[in-house]
Amino acid sequence: MAFASARNVSAPGPGEIASAVIVALAFAVPFVSDSQLVYSLTNQILIAITASFSVYIMLRMDLMTFAVPAFMALGGYAFAIASLRGGITDTIALAALAFAVPALVALPLGVLVLRLRGVYFVLVTFVLTQILDLLLFETPGLTGGSNGLVGMPPTTLFGLTLGDNRGVLFVAAGLTLTATLITAGLTSYFRQHFAAIEENETLAQSLGLITWRYKVLGFVVAAGVAGMAGFALVNMLLTAHPTSFSPISSVNYIGYAIIGGRGSMLGPIIGSGLLVWATNMFSIQGEYSQGLFGVLIIIVVMLAKGGIVGTAAALWRRFARRDAAAPISPPASQPSMPR
Amino acid sequence: MIGTVSAITGSNDGELRVDGISMRFGGLKVFEDISLRLSPRDILGVIGPNGAGKTTLINVICGKLAPVAGHVFLGGTDISGRSTHTLSRMGLVRSFQQTNTFRTASVRENLSRAIRFSSGGAESWRRMDELLDRFDLAHRLDEQSDKLPYGLQKMLGLLLAYATTPKVLLLDEPAAGLEGRERTRVDDFVHHAQRDLGCAILIVEHDMDLIRRLCPRIMVLDAGRLLAEGPPDEVLSRRDVIDAYVGAVDEEDE
Repeated sequence: MAFASARNVSAPGPGEIASAVIVALAFAVPFVSDSQLVYSLTNQILIAITASFSVYIMLRMDLMTFAVPAFMALGGYAFAIASLRGGITDTIALAALAFAVPALVALPLGVLVLRLRGVYFVLVTFVLTQILDLLLFETPGLTGGSNGLVGMPPTTLFGLTLGDNRGVLFVAAGLTLTATLITAGLTSYFRQHFAAIEENETLAQSLGLITWRYKVLGFVVAAGVAGMAGFALVNMLLTAHPTSFSPISSVNYIGYAIIGGRGSMLGPIIGSGLLVWATNMFSIQGEYSQGLFGVLIIIVVMLAKGGIVGTAAALWRRFARRDAAAPISPPASQPSMPR
Repeated sequence: MIGTVSAITGSNDGELRVDGISMRFGGLKVFEDISLRLSPRDILGVIGPNGAGKTTLINVICGKLAPVAGHVFLGGTDISGRSTHTLSRMGLVRSFQQTNTFRTASVRENLSRAIRFSSGGAESWRRMDELLDRFDLAHRLDEQSDKLPYGLQKMLGLLLAYATTPKVLLLDEPAAGLEGRERTRVDDFVHHAQRDLGCAILIVEHDMDLIRRLCPRIMVLDAGRLLAEGPPDEVLSRRDVIDAYVGAVDEEDE
């Protein structure tokens, strides 16, 4: 008799499927509303979700990244330059480019840095963002310097021009849904690898896992996903400008992921939705919102490690358990549920 | 069965040879000029007082630390300085002195990771059944590993190493912290790995009864040098070994 057997350990879980469904709902917004405010807010939330997925991927391996604005800039400028200089307007080609350029930059960097301990990685991502910010200002020939790049023609899809507000929102929704599927695919297929690296890297290595290779893979995909957010941001603002990718904005994306909940893909989605909405509602722009996010991150880390989604899931489980007077099933590991 | 084993291990494939390795942390000498040889199915006990360099010896052989001198060979290949994951994939796998599992994951998930990371398949799962049953883990597959009793967590640690289908096992105090009754499970495990996988096994241990039961050959390390080597009865009755062990041997022996 066989006691033990493999279970399907790399299929997407309920969190991943729900995430894709929620993001796909954004396509419905243009059909139910024509309010500029709603369009703008939806755009901002979609971009925030994509960018914080980049943070989420690295957090699967317990690695903190401050490089999201840098990779967003690479994606956004790659789009602007290809559009202005190369005359490319096809949305799919531009999206592929916005993914590939930051991913290719991340590859050698990851190979170099991710063999080191986590703390060095955090520092390098921080420095990278600072350097790239400087480079954007100092290379006006390519990036327009402090003027940025403007005048990109509207993107197209199968001959359709996506230049108006609806079109821009469709592009953002399409990019975010693609980023969601990429993130869900990566983190569920390699769930065991990432979880092992997060929890016990020494044991993982002694069982034969080449841990640095999976860290590099995660880093490369996270960079590509951030690049897609950069594309959506430049496409929304109609300009590629250094101030859109300020190093300090990395705190926002970390905030969305951690406050929303790092344990599930729903976390960055809920975190982005709530915090971007709140920022707009209370008109707290610039450094004030970052200060607020900083305080919120501290509160979450100290009091509710699972963030909004993790805490809600824990409360729900507690109630469900109390209701069930029947025999309690053992705490089966449910990897997709937030811890 | 024998046929399958030699098909797995090959001819000289699983031989571990350690050739005059030395280890130093800065100015602190941990051990010097240690050599040993383990053929498939050999069981070697390594004993010595605390601080003799036993765990460091395992850390060096398994690739966690690089020796300052000497070489380690696995199946004739020089593996000194290669990384832990490379050696694990070549079949040289260690267990840990403390409980060491993926703590928040279930027993099944722990095993699943060990098998997947070592590129194992259905055959690896089948091989686990008998041991899982014997160690009282078969009906606890869905329990979270850090909620298991201490003894079972240690056995799970051994099973994770076993699940990778190793050729050479380095066991770092497998019986430490176990109750007397639980200790025979270590015997079970060692015999099982020897018989079913043809493993060569190196055991670092303080439990002299266990060493006598399992090891036809032992090495005594003292302050980083080889003090004695040979069959346990002969070695453990030597005056210098007893002195080095400060009575620990006397108590359990006489």
